[in-house]
Amino acid sequence: MLNFIIRRIAQIPLVMLALSLLLFVIIFQLTPAQRAAGYIRSEQQAAQLDNIIRQRGLDQPFPIQYGKWLSSTVQGDLGFSRTSSKPVFDTMKERLPSTIELSLYAGIPIVLLGIWLGTLSALNKDRFVDQFLRVFAVLGTSLPSFVLGIVLLKFLYGSLGWLPGPGQVDVLNQFAVLDPTFKHYTGMLSVDAMLNGRWAVAGDVLRHLIMPVLTLVIIFSANILKVMRAQMLETLTSDYVRTARAKGLGNKAVNLKHARRNALLPIVTLTGFTAINLLAGAIITETIFAYPGVGQWVGSAAQNLDVPAVMGFALLSAIIVVVISTLTDLFYGVVDPRVRFD
Amino acid sequence: MMKPTSLTLLTALLLGSAAFAATPKDTLVIQQSNDTPTLDPTANYDTGSSNMIENMYDTLWTYKGNSLRAFTPMLATAVPTFTNNGKTLTVNLRKGVKFHSGNSFTCADAQYTFERNLVTNSAESGNWFLAESLTGTQANANDDKSVTWDKISKAVQCNAQGQLVFTLPKADPAFLAKLAFSGQSILDKQWAIKQGEWDGTEKTWKDWVGKDVQGSNLSKNPSGTGPYQLVSRDANALLFKAFAGYWGKKPAIQNVIVQKIPELAARQQAFLRGDADLVETGSRANIEEQLKGKPGVVIVDGLPNTSATGIFMNENIKAGDALGSGKLDGNGIPANFFSDANLRRGFAYSFNYAQYIQDVQQGKGKQRTMLLPDSFPGYDAKVKTYKFDAAQAKSYFQKAWGGNVWKNGFTLNADYRAGSVAAQTAMEILKKNVEALNPKFKVNIKQKQWADMLNDSKQGKEPMIIIGWAPDYADPDNFMYTFYSSNGYYFPRSNWKDAAVDKWLDQARATVNPAERNKLYSQVANRAYEQAPYLLVPAGVGLYAIRDNLVGANASTYNPMLGSSTLFTGTAWKDLSKK
Repeated sequence: MLNFIIRRIAQIPLVMLALSLLLFVIIFQLTPAQRAAGYIRSEQQAAQLDNIIRQRGLDQPFPIQYGKWLSSTVQGDLGFSRTSSKPVFDTMKERLPSTIELSLYAGIPIVLLGIWLGTLSALNKDRFVDQFLRVFAVLGTSLPSFVLGIVLLKFLYGSLGWLPGPGQVDVLNQFAVLDPTFKHYTGMLSVDAMLNGRWAVAGDVLRHLIMPVLTLVIIFSANILKVMRAQMLETLTSDYVRTARAKGLGNKAVNLKHARRNALLPIVTLTGFTAINLLAGAIITETIFAYPGVGQWVGSAAQNLDVPAVMGFALLSAIIVVVISTLTDLFYGVVDPRVRFD
Repeated sequence: MMKPTSLTLLTALLLGSAAFAATPKDTLVIQQSNDTPTLDPTANYDTGSSNMIENMYDTLWTYKGNSLRAFTPMLATAVPTFTNNGKTLTVNLRKGVKFHSGNSFTCADAQYTFERNLVTNSAESGNWFLAESLTGTQANANDDKSVTWDKISKAVQCNAQGQLVFTLPKADPAFLAKLAFSGQSILDKQWAIKQGEWDGTEKTWKDWVGKDVQGSNLSKNPSGTGPYQLVSRDANALLFKAFAGYWGKKPAIQNVIVQKIPELAARQQAFLRGDADLVETGSRANIEEQLKGKPGVVIVDGLPNTSATGIFMNENIKAGDALGSGKLDGNGIPANFFSDANLRRGFAYSFNYAQYIQDVQQGKGKQRTMLLPDSFPGYDAKVKTYKFDAAQAKSYFQKAWGGNVWKNGFTLNADYRAGSVAAQTAMEILKKNVEALNPKFKVNIKQKQWADMLNDSKQGKEPMIIIGWAPDYADPDNFMYTFYSSNGYYFPRSNWKDAAVDKWLDQARATVNPAERNKLYSQVANRAYEQAPYLLVPAGVGLYAIRDNLVGANASTYNPMLGSSTLFTGTAWKDLSKK
C-alpha cells in the first residue's frame, strides 16, 4: 500500500507539468493584445495597450514565456493575481480554508443523504416515495446551480426573510470578524469564531452557510441518489441476496448489510468526484452567495483573463485531483476487501 | 430518531434567531461586484480603487460640489494660478495636517508623491498624463531615455518657504484638473519608506522605474490624510472608520463596510431589505425594473454623463480583407471610401438619434453637439447637430464620389464591441436606415472582441467602429485632442485630418485663458459638424439608487469625476449621513 501511495504522490509533479503546459498552449492561442486586455480596467488604460504588451513581455515567444513562468513557479513564486491584488499563493492560502469549510458542511450531507435516499428509493421501487425521489433526482441534476441559488436567495432571503443574505456574516458581526483582535486560526470562519469564543458570530456563520450548503446538497446528492438507487436495484436481485433471504435473514440485515454495502462501490468513486468538484471550487455557488472561497476568486480571474491566477488554480486542482483519487482508491480496499494495492 | 420538539428547536435556532437588523445609523454598508484592485494611489486607475482612495487620501484640490469647472482646496490652502507663462505653479500647503499613521504632512510628502508617480509610471497606471505635463513625455525612464532623475527632481520641488513648486516644460491648462485625480493623492513619505516602498532618493530611483505597485505594501497598509482610514480587510470586505485626526469637518458616518457581492440579484435583494445602503445596481433597465418604486428606495435621476461615444468612419482603411472588392462596384469599398465629406454626411443623416435614445436609453438620452460631455468646460450647445433625415441622407449619398456611390452601391463591414448591446443597437439602426435608402447599399455588422477591436482599429484596419472615451480629468483637451487632432489617440482609427482643427487644438493646449480656449473648441466643433468625421452617438443620462434614510446624496452633490460616480453616488462618504 505504501508503494501505491508513493507512486501516486510521485505523479503529482508530472500531472501539474502536463496540465500547466496544456493550459499555456490554450492561453497562447490568444493574441498578445487579447492577453493584455486582462490588465485593462478602463477605457483610458486601453490607450496603453502597446506599453502593457511590451512591459509584460506578452509578445515574447512561447518557450520564453512558459520558461519564465515555470522557473518562478519552481522557486515557489506563482505570480501576482490582478483579480485579488495579491500573490497567487497568498490568495489561495487565504481562500482555500473557506472552500474546505463549505465542502465539509456540504459534503457530508451530500453523501449521507444521497445514500439514504437512493436506498429508500430502491427499497420502495415504483411506490410514491420512489416516484417522488426520482423526480427530485431529475430536478437536482438538471437544475443549474445559478438558477437554484438565485431562487433560494430571492425566496428564503428576499421574500420570506427566513435566512440571511449573501456573505458569511451580518454587518454587526462583520465588525467582530474584521476587528484586529479576532484571530483567524484556521481560516474557516465558523471554527475560528468558536475558537475565539464568539458564539454569536459562529451561529451567524452557520446560518449564512444554510443556503449555499442547501444548493450544493440538492445538486450533488441527486447524482448519488440516482447511482445508489440503480446499484441497490441491481444488488437486490443478485444471487447472494436471494441466498441470504433463503437462509432466513431479516429484511433489514439483507438490505443494509448485504445489498447496500455492495452497492456502495460506485458511490465511493462518485464521492471522490464530488469532493474534487467541491474542493476545486464550487464556482457558481460561491459567487452567488458571496462566499470567499477559491471558486469565487477563480471565476472572476477567468473572466478577467488573469493568467497567473488561472495557472495557479490549475496546479492546486491537480494536487486535489491526485490526492482525492488516491484516497478514493484506498477507500475501495475498505469497502471491498478483494481490492488490494500490492 | 429526532423528536419533533428537538426538530422545532433546531429549526428555531437556525431560522428564527436570524436577526436582520437594518444597517446601523453610524455605518455605511456598500456592496460592489468586484475586488478593490489597489489602495495605493500611485497605481490607481479604475473606479473601484478610486472610490476607496478618494475617501482615505486627499489631493491638493478637488472638484467643488458638482462642478467640473471649479476646484476647492484640500491639502493646498488655495487653488493656485500659473505664473511664468503657464509653466510654474506654486502651491501653499495646509499646516497641522496629520496622516493616519500620526506623521505630520509636509511639503516633502507632496514632493515624494509626485516623484514616485513619475518614477514608477507603469502602463496600467494613470501617471502617463502627469508625466506628459511634467517631463514632456507619457513614457517612463525605461521607455524614454530623455526622462532622467534631474528632469524628475526639477519638475517638482519644495522651496525654502515650504511651498510646492511645479515646473512644467510648457504650459498645460489641464494641469490643475490632472492634480484633482485621486491617483495624485498625497502619500505619507515616512510611512511608505517604512513599509518598504521607494526611499525617494536618486540612488535607488532606477530600481523603481515602471514598477507595478498595484499590490504594494502601501496598498496593504495605507496611510492618508483623508476622513476615513482602513481598519482591516479580508477576502470579501473592507472596514473603514472615521479618522479622528482629520483636518476637515468631522464625518457623520463613523464606519464604512465595503462588501464584495459578485451577483447582481444578491445585491439587489440586500438593498431592498435594507441590509446594504448602497449597491452596484447595474444598468438603467435594472434600476427601473427591479428597484424603482420599491419601499425604502430613492432614485436619483438626470445625472450628467461624462463619456462620449462616436461611430468612426476611417478615411484610410489599411486592411484588404475589410474592403471586400476594394472598389466602388457594390461588392466592397475603396480604402479611402470615407474621405468624401458628402458620404460621411449621408451616414450622419441616416442615423435615427431619437430611436437610439428610446431603444437603448429608455428615452433618457441626449444628443450632443460635439464629442465632449455637455457638463465639461468648452462645450458649446449652439453648434448644429445632425437629425435623422432620409431625404437629406439620400441627397448626400447621391453627391458622394461624383454619384458613383449611389449608382454602384457599396458593401461596408462595420464592427462593434462584443457584448455591448448599446453598440450593437446603434449599428443595427444605422444599417437598417442606410440599406433602406438604396438596395445596392450593404452594411455588414459583426461583433468583435474588445482587445482585437482596439488593436485592429489602432492599426487603421477597421472601416467603421463604435468606440467611446471616458475622461481622466475634467479638461476639454482630454476629449477634443483625443478625437479631433491628427496627433490624438484616436487619429489612427479615423484618419481625419484638418489643418485648421489641428492648429486650433494646439492653440487651446498652449493657453491657460478659459475664454480663449472655449472659443477655439467651438471652432473645432463647428468644423467637425461641417466635415462629419464622426457620427455622434447620443449620451445616456446617469442615475443611481439609494436607501431613503441616506442623507446627502443627490444631484447637487453628484460629481461625475469622483470615483464613486460610476457605480454609486458621486459624493464623498464624509458628506453622507443617515436618519
